Amino acid sequence: MPQIITEQNLRNLIDLLVKESKVVVGPKQADSVVLYQPLAAGSELTLDSLPRRSAKELFFPICENILSYQRLDGKMQVTDVDRSRFPETVLIGAPPCDAASPAILDAVFSWDYNDEFYLERRRKSTIVGIACTQGDDACFCTAVGLAPDTDTGSDLFLTPLKDGSYACKAVTEKGKALVDAHARLFGEAASADAAPFAEQGTEKLDLVKIKKWLEGHFEDPLWEKISDICVGCGSCAFICPACHCFDINDEGSTEQGSRRKHWDACGFSKFTNHASGHNPRDVQNKRYRNRIMHKFKYYDDKFGRTLCTGCGRCVRACPVGIDIAEILSTINAKQD
Amino acid sequence: MGEGAIGNAYGHFPPPPPPPPQGGRELRHERESMCQSNNIYLPNLATIEAIVDETPDVRTLRLVFQDEQVRENFSFRAGQFAEYSAFGAGESTFCIASAPTRKGYIECCFRSVGRVTESLRRLEVGDTIGVRGPYGNSFPIEQFFGKSLVFIAGGIALPPLRTVIWNCLDLRDKFKDITIVYGARSEADLVYKRELAEWQQRDDVRLVKCVDPGGNGPDFDGKVGFVPNVLEEAAPSSENTVALVCGPPIMIKFTLPVLERLGFADDHIYTTLENRMKCGVGKCGRCNVGNVYVCKDGPVFTAGEVKAMSQEF
Repeated sequence: MPQIITEQNLRNLIDLLVKESKVVVGPKQADSVVLYQPLAAGSELTLDSLPRRSAKELFFPICENILSYQRLDGKMQVTDVDRSRFPETVLIGAPPCDAASPAILDAVFSWDYNDEFYLERRRKSTIVGIACTQGDDACFCTAVGLAPDTDTGSDLFLTPLKDGSYACKAVTEKGKALVDAHARLFGEAASADAAPFAEQGTEKLDLVKIKKWLEGHFEDPLWEKISDICVGCGSCAFICPACHCFDINDEGSTEQGSRRKHWDACGFSKFTNHASGHNPRDVQNKRYRNRIMHKFKYYDDKFGRTLCTGCGRCVRACPVGIDIAEILSTINAKQD
Repeated sequence: MGEGAIGNAYGHFPPPPPPPPQGGRELRHERESMCQSNNIYLPNLATIEAIVDETPDVRTLRLVFQDEQVRENFSFRAGQFAEYSAFGAGESTFCIASAPTRKGYIECCFRSVGRVTESLRRLEVGDTIGVRGPYGNSFPIEQFFGKSLVFIAGGIALPPLRTVIWNCLDLRDKFKDITIVYGARSEADLVYKRELAEWQQRDDVRLVKCVDPGGNGPDFDGKVGFVPNVLEEAAPSSENTVALVCGPPIMIKFTLPVLERLGFADDHIYTTLENRMKCGVGKCGRCNVGNVYVCKDGPVFTAGEVKAMSQEF
């Protein structure tokens, strides 16, 4: 029999972690929406819907200081951010599509040059993933190689059982350490009947085939057809668990201020605009093509991974109804 | 301003404990440890040692690193770029325009067209700017030893080749003929005028300078015409020769067929791509041409490599 934790003990675990001065982040009702937010108590954990935004901002904040500067006695001084002050964090209640995102993003933030802002937060975090029983029409994780019960990216993985408790699987040493440190909250399962996993509307896609098609169709009528309704709002990128494009800007005066790294989106018209006014991606369908290409070809070329977890957030958020799963299905069905 | 302020203002996640008060001592301590920092976004500080106005809106800054160790250890290769920052405005990407053979300083050259470049332009001799780099690949100069070189540049795109030109002139014995074809819209738009004069004087360099029709004054001593036409007329031999081309996309587009007619193979033609960048280190996601990251895989490419890319320039 696997180890289990009852729902009450899961909430007790959160209370204990908070007492240990860890930052515990989980899905929490925030006015009318559920968001990943710091939990003050286990009772705040909400496990009945997918949070509006992904959990990536835990490691890669919307906006963060990367340095500050100040002119002192006429001399410019630059001060690094003290990353040792980043708190120990436990992310609890992330479904596979969110738990898998850091596992994807690790590649880009640690190749060649290490982005220690991201990596330090990763080192100080433990991810407790949970099998998904709440899929909706927009979900397509199974289409991109994940599943409602995939433990990729989780340190500890919980599977809801019919009796309301959760089967626990320590996926990594970090997960095991979390269980060991709070062993009295975990018990033996009476039965191992899992609650039914989420239904998935999309058929499994052949990602290799899709990538191959993308390779040969940089120029294709499809791009204009699918994306000339795109308004370039960037919503899809901002709520995506895998999009990681960012901008760097200064905020402050010439005397004192900070330099900040903050989210950006390849759908924005100024994203690639040169100072001269020349823009390599001068129309929206080129920008949307880059989005699809980056996710299903370029990232795979470089890091051997698809830059998508099938969470479906972009499908739900798009103000003009662009459906990435539908686009992938269209490509998947192509014969040439 | 601490990290905490951001967490509160922009995100849901709680800030770490507030940083200790920022007194001079704390800052100096941080400054000393800057070299050891693993923050890839932290620039080195440099002092503007000299300013040269190349044209009414193009300026060269000569920069000297403030930290003695950085000053001594900073090394780069011709073709590499850096992120230059005007504190308060942000960072901008330019090539390192001075030659790696000239030690003790670096130079950048830019046209004032945006927020950062206009702020950089407001700085004076003695002011501080930030420099991150060097980044990217470089011209394989050692592979050019024993060959002739043809440099072809247009307008503000001379700086990325000027680093190579001086690099090669400082190792003049290693190369055979050196030809420079450089053009701009008008006489006023020619950059590095004093160096053009110097190259013109030298008998081991053939300089062909030109301006677009209508851009020449009565005393202009160069050719009148567009770079590709002037190049075709100058007709440098392609035998055992490497061509290095930098210029606006339209110039490159019309220059490549000329080089082909002159007998240059694609892998003997080098160019640099100048896409918009932010991080410079392969993370921020905007400089890609297809799956090629200009900041990491470039900025130096052969014509063959450019032709093989997804055509999105």
